[in-house]
Amino acid sequence: MEAFVAGMGLLLDPKILLVVFLGTVIGIIVGALPGISGSTTTALLLPFTITMGPVPAIAFLGAIYCAANFGGSITAILVNSPGDPSASATAFDGYPMAQRGEAGRALGMSAVASAIGGIFSVIVLIVAAPLLARVAYSFGPPEYFALAVFGLSMVAMTGGDSPVKNLIAGAFGVLLATVGQDLTTGVERYTFGIHSFTDGIEFIPVLIGLFALAELFEQAAQLGQRTVAAKLGAVRLPSWQDIKDCTKAISLSSVLGTFIGILPALGATTAAMIAYVETKRWSKNKAQFGKGAIEGVAGPEAANNAAVGGAMVPTLALGIPGSTTTAIILAGLIVQGIRPGPHLFTEQPLLLYAVFSSMLLANLLYLVLGLGFAKVFARISLIPAPLLWPAVFVLSVIGAYAPNQAMAEVWVAIAFGFVGFFMKRYGFSPAPLVIGLVLGRMVEETLKQSLLIFDLSWGGFLNRPIALALFGLTALFLLGPFLLQRLRARP
Amino acid sequence: MSSNRVAAAAVIAIAAALFAATFWFEKMPEGITRGFGAELFPRLVLGTIIALALLLALLPAASEPLARIPPMVWYSGAALILFTAIVPVIGMLPAMFAFLLALGYLWGERRHLILLSSAVLLTAAIWGIFVKGFGVQLPKGLLA
Repeated sequence: MEAFVAGMGLLLDPKILLVVFLGTVIGIIVGALPGISGSTTTALLLPFTITMGPVPAIAFLGAIYCAANFGGSITAILVNSPGDPSASATAFDGYPMAQRGEAGRALGMSAVASAIGGIFSVIVLIVAAPLLARVAYSFGPPEYFALAVFGLSMVAMTGGDSPVKNLIAGAFGVLLATVGQDLTTGVERYTFGIHSFTDGIEFIPVLIGLFALAELFEQAAQLGQRTVAAKLGAVRLPSWQDIKDCTKAISLSSVLGTFIGILPALGATTAAMIAYVETKRWSKNKAQFGKGAIEGVAGPEAANNAAVGGAMVPTLALGIPGSTTTAIILAGLIVQGIRPGPHLFTEQPLLLYAVFSSMLLANLLYLVLGLGFAKVFARISLIPAPLLWPAVFVLSVIGAYAPNQAMAEVWVAIAFGFVGFFMKRYGFSPAPLVIGLVLGRMVEETLKQSLLIFDLSWGGFLNRPIALALFGLTALFLLGPFLLQRLRARP
Repeated sequence: MSSNRVAAAAVIAIAAALFAATFWFEKMPEGITRGFGAELFPRLVLGTIIALALLLALLPAASEPLARIPPMVWYSGAALILFTAIVPVIGMLPAMFAFLLALGYLWGERRHLILLSSAVLLTAAIWGIFVKGFGVQLPKGLLA
């Protein structure tokens, strides 16, 4: 409790306040820009947080993460083109509402539902993360290895539609983490004589390439597609009747979103989609869904913002990313020299509680900014692609170059831009690759340590009940859908 | 051939090449590796990738061929490569300014004043924030 109060006290620091405010504004703007997601922005701005110090850096990235999900709903409602993938479900009813002249009402409900979902999940984060960390505090290398494998198995459901392709991408991410000197033997692996690869592939250029530059190529492929924006009247607080109508949707979706966010690798997009289906299932106005039901806006928006706090639970407590953006935030912590995990709660409680309180503040800020300035954000979202994307490239170059002041990193970013584009073309999502890259070193290190503990015998895992349970869960998640499918196919 | 099989074949080819590369890793004595050589973990991962790719090849996929990649993607890619190649020659800020104009024009922006103003403003912002503010040393090129 003392640490929490001290963490809240950090919010009085003008520097922290400024970065949370900036992060929230940037998050809303980029969330509203079609094609630039929260993941892209955190990847793009990660290099600029290096000089900030751990607390402002993570508060800044956390604020972007919180606000981008809300920002995505602005274009989902106004132009039927979700600025962030997590707002896809919001467009189903948000755009029909805008078409019949209720854009302001839809955006008002989006802001309120997002803030409620977001604040609920941060409260769960504050309570659950230390509890989870306490459980994980007794974990040894075998349990961590099993946990990391479980986290990797969850990438099967991340990003693209094909679980097998997601797993392949995740495995390539793990492989990418082996580039550079092996920590035990000092042997260089896959450096191909390139000096800058000796210490391993830097996260930042890879992230910038996979998210920002690959998206630039995607945009180049879609040039000429025009969107028609609906007119936006005044954005207003939802009426009491609207709140009453949506209470069930917001409550259900906040819980669902937080729970889905906590599951490793599943993020806001999945949460919003499931919440939309469940909101419709439990609604009295099922027939209105798809035609402009306000519950269809409230449910997904509460869920995708609730997933943010949820996703931070395993990220901070276990060091296992709860989503793509948290994988990038995890990379940000590692770049700052901090390895997330249960020890953080005893060693750096102030850092954690500062992150929690800045996320709470970001949720309140985007509620105010969303209601007051949605019109401005909506206008920014209509920046034409020929002006926006060259600027994104220039920022990408600076982002890749600045940390080590090396042009080699820019080449790496461009190479991964092409890799990301071709991955998407063949149905491979870059998100599992990033999660694999972030977890890769942990998987190898904990496997080595485990085998040393077990005298190089794999059978040693059989004597570790927690590790066994996690392996069992992994098998269940990987094989469950296939077995169910086969059972259903039987006459 | 279905897109899944094309993807699986490409994945297997890349994984096999990377697997072969592990045989060229420096060999260390047993006392240092303690039974876990530097090549063991990459081989485990690559074995998993190959097994998953074989599974992918067996899965049904949409039979219709993928749409052709629009030429603008290649032009944009070439512009990115050209930009990075000319930075050491003319310096980063001039290269950025030229790139902002060139890619904007290539992507169809014909309002010259808007294009020019945005290129000037962004280049100036990069100089102000990163060079003056953060002290980042940008490549100045051969002409400096």
